[in-house]
Amino acid sequence: MSRYKSVGFLHGMVLGVALTTATAAYAETLTLYWNAGHAYQAYADAIAKFEADHPGWSVQWEKFQWPDMRTKLVADFAAKSPPDLVAEPGGWVQEFGQRNLLRPLNDFIEQDGKAIGYPDDWQAYSVERNKLGDQYYGVQIHLTCATLVYNVDMLKQAGFDTPPATWEEFLKVAKATTTGARFGFAPNPSIGYYSSWLLQNGVSYYDPKTNKVNLDSPEAIEAIQFLADLIHKEKAATKPAAGADYEGPQKLFTANRVAMIITGPWDVKPIRSGNPKLNWAVAPSLKHKVQATFAGGVSVMIPKDAKHPKEAWDLLKRLVALDTELAATKEAGMTMPRKSWAENAEVQADPVIGSFSKCLPYAQDVTAELRLTGKHARIEKRLQSALEDIIYNQKPAAEIMPKFAAEANVILANN
Amino acid sequence: MFISGSTDTADTDIRVGAMPTRRAARFSRRTRQTLLAYLLLSPAILYFSVYFFYPIGLEFWASLYSGQPLIGESRFAGLDNYVAALGDARVRQSLFVTLAFAIGVTAASIAIGLGLAVVLNRPIPGRTLIRAIIFFPYITSFVIVALMWQAILDPYTGILNSFLAELGLPTQNWLGDTSTALPTLIAITVWKDVGYAMLIYLSALQSIPSDFYDAASIDGATPTQQFRYLTWPLLTPTTLFIAVVSTISQLQELAPAYLITKGGPADATRFFSLHVFEAAFFELNIGYASALSFLMFLLILAITFVQFRLLNRETTY
Repeated sequence: MSRYKSVGFLHGMVLGVALTTATAAYAETLTLYWNAGHAYQAYADAIAKFEADHPGWSVQWEKFQWPDMRTKLVADFAAKSPPDLVAEPGGWVQEFGQRNLLRPLNDFIEQDGKAIGYPDDWQAYSVERNKLGDQYYGVQIHLTCATLVYNVDMLKQAGFDTPPATWEEFLKVAKATTTGARFGFAPNPSIGYYSSWLLQNGVSYYDPKTNKVNLDSPEAIEAIQFLADLIHKEKAATKPAAGADYEGPQKLFTANRVAMIITGPWDVKPIRSGNPKLNWAVAPSLKHKVQATFAGGVSVMIPKDAKHPKEAWDLLKRLVALDTELAATKEAGMTMPRKSWAENAEVQADPVIGSFSKCLPYAQDVTAELRLTGKHARIEKRLQSALEDIIYNQKPAAEIMPKFAAEANVILANN
Repeated sequence: MFISGSTDTADTDIRVGAMPTRRAARFSRRTRQTLLAYLLLSPAILYFSVYFFYPIGLEFWASLYSGQPLIGESRFAGLDNYVAALGDARVRQSLFVTLAFAIGVTAASIAIGLGLAVVLNRPIPGRTLIRAIIFFPYITSFVIVALMWQAILDPYTGILNSFLAELGLPTQNWLGDTSTALPTLIAITVWKDVGYAMLIYLSALQSIPSDFYDAASIDGATPTQQFRYLTWPLLTPTTLFIAVVSTISQLQELAPAYLITKGGPADATRFFSLHVFEAAFFELNIGYASALSFLMFLLILAITFVQFRLLNRETTY
């Protein structure tokens, strides 16, 4: 290397280091925790636009599975260094809000609410589930419900042109479509999915007036026993593997191995991409005493100790904008909380999304009232064990559910 | 800071820091050596203080509070969390599951690891490759191991059940049956960890002088007698080491239950550490989880004490 080249190289190095240092000095990072399954291009575009509109800012978009995110977030709260903006799977807003770990959003909503349509353009219960008293702690970004999804060809082969509408019809179809290595139904081992059966039998999880769970009622016992019998007595449903993730039934359905599953819009993309030739459709939720299903969805929240709450709110507004919602729906089939989204012509015209969106009016937030007790997580774990005792160990629901209810009610009664 | 000293005599003059000679003279040589020893130990002391002693102290402090010590509001509860833990049937059950898991994994690792080591200590062709293949799972992340075994054991799409069905044998829901879930987790963990036991045993076998075996052969000892009266007694310290280290490690194990079964079905694989983890991170019952952790700490401390007592015994054979 000549002397001049060496000097030039050194100057370049010095300039590079200086520029890097200067950039680092002014750069700001907004940390966003997100679910790995929801990292849609629509959100990547919104984040890119945020960065373009805020020179010097970058968004650290960290993606996790929900349980891992929770572990990280609780550790962050303990270390007083939470992220700026966090997505949550339902329930965390009130849980962390009660513990004074979240920033109330009232001032932001007063300032920008009209412009973004919040809360008026949101489905009412999607606003309520993100509030504690008069304080807003989160904004719903996805609003989902689970319903019956079926393999049109398998039902036709078994002689059914329409999907079942009641439990009796469902049982008939499940038995008729069970042949060899194929099953009529694949239940989901995740606890939330059991609630559709409970709700359809008119069961409410918890009564705030008596401060007791209602899952020892004859209706609750009948609902759980119906599901257990479907697996063990009728042999028309798969027995789930313990610890399997919620995608298990979807994978069997996509592989043409089961005729029916209960799922939500989160499985639209995996089914479409996993087996584009599969002839499937979405049915209205089943009815026993009532037609019902459970509501789900994702909210976004800003921790109390977030370093950049204003910028987090700005990004939040972009992530929940109607254009972003429509883009995410088009990309992944996700259903959204805005009323204007539900009224959108493209949404209504889509046979799959349109069918899911029709369940939203009768979908229920099953644990909404129980969450406000602050004891929801402790009770859920015990309920999971009780349900597994019935499903895996084939113990009678009439024996297990009262035991669970007694244990849960002790937890609720104790401070 | 610098350390200087003359090396030409046994009476080494070591000075810590740029201290004036008069000040240094005020300390005896023994004191100066002690100071130096502490100075050299200080990085390790700092490391253990920050990453071990401080968290243990913090955990004990948190265990005396109810509510959400560390993240939110809490109130002093004395020993209430410990009393609650000792009276909790789920704690007792998870401890029983954990002990069964730890004993099962340890016993199987010792038996299989020793067997493999004895076989692979012989001059068989390809033994280096075989040793590497057996050891490989030990250095593989449990996340990968969990995903692989979940796929293999899937009751409807797994290769194991397909294989059994091909042979005309009954299939099993390995992870969905309370009677098979824990043995399955034990088998997976042994498969992953047995390479470590094998490696330690191989090292111990190779340190036994061949003269012992030559003498035994001359005395007419059969291979079985040589193993029983020579190899096995000489391997006692190694066996104790593996037994104690493995037991302590398995008592703290979280990954198999967390990643493969989530503690199910019906709590059949609910390990103590999973119970603690869920109490802390899902129930946000941090004081209670801290008390549970501290109880496990005491249990492991007791086992470590037993370890020292056993390992300090003279081996006889």
